[in-house]
Amino acid sequence: MKQKAGWPALVFLAPALVIYTAFSAWPLLATLRLGLYGTDDVGHVSFVGLDNFRKLLFDEHWFGAFRNAMVDNVEFFAIHTLVQNPVALLLAALLSLRGVRGAAAYRTVLFLPTLLSVVIIGFTWQLILSPLWGVSEKLMTLVGLGEHFGPWLGQEETALRTIALISVWQFVGIPMMLIYAALIAIPEEVVEAAAVEGAGAWRIFWSIRLPLILPTLGLVNILTFVGNFNAFDLIYAVKGALAGPNFSTDLLGTLFYRTFFGYQSETGSATMGAALATLMFLVILSGVGLYFLVIQRRLQRIAS
Amino acid sequence: MARLELSNLSKSYGSSQVLHDIDLVVADGELVVLVGPSGCGKSTLLRMICGLEDITEGEMRIDGERVNDLPPARRGIAMVFQSYALYPHMTVRANMAFGLKIHGADKAQRAARVLAAAKALHIDHLLDRRPRELSGGQRQRVAIGRAIVREPRLFLFDEPLSNLDAALRVKTRIELARLHRELAATMVYVTHDQVEAMTLGDRIVVMHEGRIQQAGTPLELYEHPANRFVASFIGSPTLNLVPATTQACSSAGARLEVHAGCVVDVAVDGASLLPGQAVEIGIRPEHLRVADGNMSAAGIRFGGEITLIEQLGESHLVYLRCADGLELVSRASGHTRLRVGDRIALEADPGTLHVFDARGAACVRRR
Amino acid sequence: MSRHPIRASALGRSALVHLTLGGYCLLVLCPILLVLLNSFKSRAGIFDDPLGLPTTATLSLAGYGKVLGDAAVGHMFVNSAIVTGVSLAAILLLGAMAAWALTEYGFFGNRLLALFLAFGIMVPIRLGSVAILQEMVALDLVNTLTALVLVYIAQGLPLAVMILSEFVGQVPQELKDAARCDGVGEYRIFFQVVLPLIRPAVATVAVFTMVPIWNDLWFPLILAPSEQTQTITLGVQQFVGQFATDWNAVLAALSLAVLPILVLYAVFSRQLIRGITAGAVK
Repeated sequence: MKQKAGWPALVFLAPALVIYTAFSAWPLLATLRLGLYGTDDVGHVSFVGLDNFRKLLFDEHWFGAFRNAMVDNVEFFAIHTLVQNPVALLLAALLSLRGVRGAAAYRTVLFLPTLLSVVIIGFTWQLILSPLWGVSEKLMTLVGLGEHFGPWLGQEETALRTIALISVWQFVGIPMMLIYAALIAIPEEVVEAAAVEGAGAWRIFWSIRLPLILPTLGLVNILTFVGNFNAFDLIYAVKGALAGPNFSTDLLGTLFYRTFFGYQSETGSATMGAALATLMFLVILSGVGLYFLVIQRRLQRIAS
Repeated sequence: MARLELSNLSKSYGSSQVLHDIDLVVADGELVVLVGPSGCGKSTLLRMICGLEDITEGEMRIDGERVNDLPPARRGIAMVFQSYALYPHMTVRANMAFGLKIHGADKAQRAARVLAAAKALHIDHLLDRRPRELSGGQRQRVAIGRAIVREPRLFLFDEPLSNLDAALRVKTRIELARLHRELAATMVYVTHDQVEAMTLGDRIVVMHEGRIQQAGTPLELYEHPANRFVASFIGSPTLNLVPATTQACSSAGARLEVHAGCVVDVAVDGASLLPGQAVEIGIRPEHLRVADGNMSAAGIRFGGEITLIEQLGESHLVYLRCADGLELVSRASGHTRLRVGDRIALEADPGTLHVFDARGAACVRRR
Repeated sequence: MSRHPIRASALGRSALVHLTLGGYCLLVLCPILLVLLNSFKSRAGIFDDPLGLPTTATLSLAGYGKVLGDAAVGHMFVNSAIVTGVSLAAILLLGAMAAWALTEYGFFGNRLLALFLAFGIMVPIRLGSVAILQEMVALDLVNTLTALVLVYIAQGLPLAVMILSEFVGQVPQELKDAARCDGVGEYRIFFQVVLPLIRPAVATVAVFTMVPIWNDLWFPLILAPSEQTQTITLGVQQFVGQFATDWNAVLAALSLAVLPILVLYAVFSRQLIRGITAGAVK
């Protein structure tokens, strides 16, 4: 039922399109292009082709940093996939059950951390986990796990994992809400029919509910992927741009920031930053592309 | 097959009671239709029989076994939902086999039973399709097939035809009747459509405001409605109601004055009536015919002006307005030459009249 | 309606359900409560008895004094409010207009443009930061709130257009036809017929858009880090970094930052959640 387009259509569409193109689409393309340029020591910018990428992927110094950030990012994503999404699924499944008293209250509370600024969250957890303050140590001793406490945020081996879990704590609300919405969209009569046929709660969940929310689960995964590979704020809030200790919490986002703005002795390089951004873009694009081309279609077919 | 007994059943949600004192026995192999307007409680009652709603008070027995606290699966019932409630992500075959799988039937058994049911319902060529690829009528058969396959003691149908178009509805109605005969199954069927009820049911249970108004065979409900509600509910157009006053009553009959000069003797049990009481006479449109001078003096007669004529082809309806404002509908077969504005008289035999007292209860008619 | 088709052990399940949900709620609330409670304590109180409520001995508002005394805090709040408010208004208006244009009118490249916009949902705008900064330098908008507003509009438009398109598409055709038959102009139809009808969608979009803008650290850091233009999020970050050892002040600052959100959330939570569950699953 499309109306014929005239001047009004243009007027309606133009402002949004202009701003979006000017400040989102074009900068992205410009960045991709800028990655093909190099800055020499006096700040002179010239075309260098794929030189930046060569540096990033083969130069010991650059590649080391890139690989480190990449590996960290993958671990970051893995923890979210293994912890955040199953927890979100569990909470959403429980909330969508019939007759749970106070479900609305639970929902409200559980969604709260998503609204808090990363600064608040980062610092709050820093305080809580701080060995100086001793709150978590006290709590763990209460439960008998006192000896397992350690300055996790400050240790190379555990820092990233800890920050990832803090991030999970913050963001569980969003996949929880999305999955919850998908669960309550399942027609009640379909679940009743299964119950009448003798399906118990477990079977209803596995055979009826889960298959029908697979597309949403896929969406949640891809959103997590994009979010994780773009992550910066929490690391910055907790560890600063240096992503210590010893770069063990470095993600692509923080590496990008440092490359772009420089840190300590090393000056920032817009061109190298642009090249790095291009690589990040390719990583994200391939993930998203893979999802849409392969997984999403299959999930839709199963679920409908 | 099974016998269903409901004793003194009632249902409340918190402080509001929606079903009152339901007593009903469904005999083995019977098809009982629960019928009534929206909100009368028929769907709630069906869901209670199914086990999807708790029973607040009373007892329910299937084949003598008390099932109040049994979950649906253990009652030996199968339900066909109004929206069919097919599992959208499974093929027709998987849909039909689901219940069997849960009860532990092995692959061969499942395949055999699914195929047999599918053949009986003419959907065997659809077994590998998904619900979204099927038409409404096909989906409904799958829903029925899903129920048949489990060989339940009791079949429950929740307004299965309401989502189909008119032509398909008639066709499917006939198929359901055939199915009932073939399976010799006990069925409880809910609908708001009284034509469906009259044609399908071995017995009909008319419900209103949470109570059973009357339970009986279609003919019984037609000929001997227990109250004004049942009389009005059965039959289309609705039966005509004419106010009257009692003159003399006995258990053999009642003499009623309809309007000045028109007195009629109706063969009903008027023992509970007193002279001078206000009552209502019910006349079905098909019993009201245009006066042709052949009626005996004992009949009832109304004169007035035609306000509307509806020609339906095989029958026609004449709407009459009398001088005192009374509006009547008459139905007769074939066409008519009458026109709007014509002044005519309608008459009915006293043997076809129903009498209802002030509370709406019917006076028992002589059989 | 109460439906318990599986009645046996429904009670037991209930206990387990509440244990799990309640347990996680505890996990959510404890950190926040800890911060709030301890912000009202003196330094000694914070260290000696972090888990306890402030007693008469430990009650102290010194932290708040320090934070509130810092006049910049109010200014930062205003900055955040301006940036978030203006961006949100623009996103809603321009987004609705674009959604309307894309769903209502058929023209060449319609679907392509929609895809172009949708692309922005998946690809993070931050990746273009290098070029964005260069643009702002060229436009002389560095360290202005305008720069932030423009970027946030560009960031929020794709999702807004997608969600609003769904709702705009549901406006009954009869309404539009009737208006057109009456000779009502296209602009009038949009502002007076369509916009009022998509109000629930507007709430959903507002939620998804407002929170990331208010809480954003990246763009204020890159585009507008000056004292004049600091947002409250950036400001608290700097403040906390500065006073790292002054626990009093830090906790007070955090509490102050949390409070407005908690209050707003308590007031609007029902609409918020309804909006999300209604519109988000697409």
